[in-house]
Amino acid sequence: MRIGVFKRIGPGSLALILLLACIPAAHGVPAFARKYGLPCSACHEAWPMLNNFGQTFKDNGYQLGNGRDAPIYQEPAYWPIMFRTIPQWHRENNNRQAVDAIPGNASSGLVEKSVTTSGFDLGGLDVITAGTLYQNISFLIQPFIGNSSINLSQAWARIDNLAGSHWLNVKMGRFELDEPISQERSLIINSTGGAYYSYFFTPSGDRNVFAGIGFPQLGVELQGHSANDYTRYSVAVVNNSNGTGGSPGNQDYDVYANFNQAFETPWFGKQQVGLYGFFGESPTYSQTQNGNPISGTGTGNRSFYRIGTYGHWYVNKTDFYTFFMHGYDNVFLGNGVPSNQPFSLPAGAAGPTWNGGFIEGHYNPNPRLILIGKYELDRMSRQANPGIRSNSGNLDTWTAGYRWYPIMSPRAGLAWTQEYSRIINSGAAPLSGQDEIHNSYLMGFDFDF
Amino acid sequence: MKLRSALISGCTLAALSVSVGMIAGWARPVDAPASVKGTVKFDGPAPKPSKIDMSQDPLCAKAHPTPATTEDIVVGTGGALENVVVYVSDGLTAHDFQPPEQPAVLEQKGCQYKPHVLALEAHQKLDVVNSDETTHNIHPSPNNNREWNMTQPHGTPLEQTFAREEVAIPVKCNVHPWMKGYIAVFKHPYFSVTGTNGSFELKDLPPGTYTITAWQEKLGTQTQKVTVGASETKTVDFTFKQ
Amino acid sequence: MRIKLNRTGAAVMLVFLPVLLMWSANGAAQESRVGKLSGNAKRGKALYVRYCIFCHGPNGDGQGESAPYLDPKPRDFTKALFKCRSTPSGTLPVDSDLYDTISRGVHASGMPSWAPLLRQERVDLVAYIKTFSSAFEEEKPGAPVEIPAEPTTTAESVQRGSELFQSMNCWSCHGKDGRGHGPSAATLTDSKGYPITPFDFTSGSRFKCGESDRDMFRDLVTGLDGTPMPSFAAAMNADQRWDVVHYIRSLSAHKTHARLKIEPIGK
Repeated sequence: MRIGVFKRIGPGSLALILLLACIPAAHGVPAFARKYGLPCSACHEAWPMLNNFGQTFKDNGYQLGNGRDAPIYQEPAYWPIMFRTIPQWHRENNNRQAVDAIPGNASSGLVEKSVTTSGFDLGGLDVITAGTLYQNISFLIQPFIGNSSINLSQAWARIDNLAGSHWLNVKMGRFELDEPISQERSLIINSTGGAYYSYFFTPSGDRNVFAGIGFPQLGVELQGHSANDYTRYSVAVVNNSNGTGGSPGNQDYDVYANFNQAFETPWFGKQQVGLYGFFGESPTYSQTQNGNPISGTGTGNRSFYRIGTYGHWYVNKTDFYTFFMHGYDNVFLGNGVPSNQPFSLPAGAAGPTWNGGFIEGHYNPNPRLILIGKYELDRMSRQANPGIRSNSGNLDTWTAGYRWYPIMSPRAGLAWTQEYSRIINSGAAPLSGQDEIHNSYLMGFDFDF
Repeated sequence: MKLRSALISGCTLAALSVSVGMIAGWARPVDAPASVKGTVKFDGPAPKPSKIDMSQDPLCAKAHPTPATTEDIVVGTGGALENVVVYVSDGLTAHDFQPPEQPAVLEQKGCQYKPHVLALEAHQKLDVVNSDETTHNIHPSPNNNREWNMTQPHGTPLEQTFAREEVAIPVKCNVHPWMKGYIAVFKHPYFSVTGTNGSFELKDLPPGTYTITAWQEKLGTQTQKVTVGASETKTVDFTFKQ
Repeated sequence: MRIKLNRTGAAVMLVFLPVLLMWSANGAAQESRVGKLSGNAKRGKALYVRYCIFCHGPNGDGQGESAPYLDPKPRDFTKALFKCRSTPSGTLPVDSDLYDTISRGVHASGMPSWAPLLRQERVDLVAYIKTFSSAFEEEKPGAPVEIPAEPTTTAESVQRGSELFQSMNCWSCHGKDGRGHGPSAATLTDSKGYPITPFDFTSGSRFKCGESDRDMFRDLVTGLDGTPMPSFAAAMNADQRWDVVHYIRSLSAHKTHARLKIEPIGK
């Protein structure tokens, strides 16, 4: 499911727009329910959000471990495939969009206007096939069929429980990084609130588009977990290409590492804390031919990192995600200057740093209803170019919504959703430098077969 | 003085009759007891029982130089139907019957259950006896009682009880799949299982109107109503057909 | 507004406060108890609706939506008849037996291991499952069977075990080589009348009620109620049962382990 953002968010954030348009979607997999006869609610707090039983199933390589996992126990005609699509009605608004003063008259000059679009829509079609090829060999293939394109969101194979140990699992292909607060399985789908901005944040003027942790990445991952999935770790080595394949390049690899620990508290339930980091280098320029960049030849690498902590807290039927990130890009990356042209750096240039995070709360009174509220903020603490306004690129976003699951069966799923999100981009209005505010309202059916 | 001795003799008499009743299995002494008796017959040509192949267990096979036969419908001379449980199903006014002290006995002999149909009272001890050299397991499958399943080698004693009324609990041996029997459990003592001559008698009934039910494992149940006065004996006959 | 409490009032409070405390403590009545945790059927019901209902059915009778497609069939809780117990054949299980089955799952069936659920959640589920049958109110569970210390495995023990495997007629269901194809095997049905196959001892150690030697010994004493597997409580003494356990182990070349070690809940 593409979260279609087709509007400007602010100067220097063009890359962010394009990135947001490419976020793969969340999913629940009714094929698993059909295989085992379990309801969606067994694995999902409220699909697509996983509960501990479902997370353990996933970490075990989509296996329950009850001696009935291998494909030989399925009917020969059974194939684990599922489809997801979200027919919806949505309304998008940008309060300060630069438009021609007289529509159609390019020389009438630009003014800022509030622009609204609304209508019925279809968020594309997710097709997922996932399961086990054999005992302890699991896979997932997720093509996405958009309104005008088809691409492969994820495709990976994983060897599970190497040497009989759940501490050793190796995955290779294009896969979402191991994040218990998963962008893939976000409960919110509208174009303003559907993303965890911290996962994709790039400061104003920064051209490092290869350091977001929210995209599926190409590479290899070693992952392990304790028997009850309370202790988990993962280490992934990925191309510095944001998962783009075809001409894997930049001759560079990034490393993502995650560790989290959960514990059971009396009366409240399971609590989880984690640490993560994404470290690597991104190119600042590439080889060119007649001035045109040759893809895959990125060079002049400079470093970046994203580090932080997160938590998942339960108080009976209410639970909270909390997330914090501290990010840093090298001064060349932050200013978009090739590292072989240090003289092009502005006076007083520095590597930008920022902090961001969110808190997302859910109230799940029964398996058929979940209420969601989210607040996220990102704040620059040091701009790459001292000439930029200190709050350039800062954002705040609020979301409220609910999902209701009128039917739940071990065959398919249906949810009715309504959501509203609002984002304030500080000083990002194109002409006046005031705050640019977007809001989205969405309602629709989420079909998962 | 007279009252006291009367009381003593009265209590002794009561105690004696209760203990007699416990030994005999009829717990309730009744003034002017009535009884219902009769015969159960099978109408039509007697169905031919099939032979049982016990070759799976040589210890069973050697007990039957000529093969044993199935016992689901056993018809004797004159059409007498054996193994029919006849009992009072309605009309009793008293309900607090003590089970007899004497146990009911179910024997595994020649890899068959003897008797094929056993009737006993709730909470009455059931002694299961394995007279065969081979090991059996005894596995009743009740609907209204707790199910259990016990292995019993030759000569090992086994005692169980059933808590609730049920007509009738199928009993099987998983090791010897041809073995089949039934246990009928009653909360009162007014039941009888027909023998080779197809006859039954329900004794020591208080006068009254009763529904008498006859149950056969394959042919179903039949009921009849009967009214007996004091010291009266009435005859009730049943006829089953396939 | 000030509430004045005179001596009478204080006395009344002193009397009723402990009563109130006791009532509130018992009001969420201890409907199941496993180790140090107490379970509550009301919480268990919410969990049952989330996790269990599609196989075991809303009435706990094993008639869930998925049940027609499952083999073996999901347990019918209304009969209060359970395979995996520590109590004698024909008696009810204790709470920890049900807890262990939920945590361990049942190998080669649709029942997964629910160990990823919180321990408290599993104890609550035990409390709710017991409400499906009045037997749990009418009767007490049996007394858990004694499992003495296991003697060392010796060749003589295995030999004696193989002789008992013969004389106790285990082979008639499990087959002479323990593969589960004995002469009676094709006739076997469970208590609901569904065909059931005897365990193949050559396939490893993922027995349905636990995979340790102690678990196998216990299974021999308790039998698996609702199946053709009987109790050998009357038929063999403890040493003989250990011999049979050693012999059965010798039939399998490999040990397959369950993925999860179920943590003890602290007795």
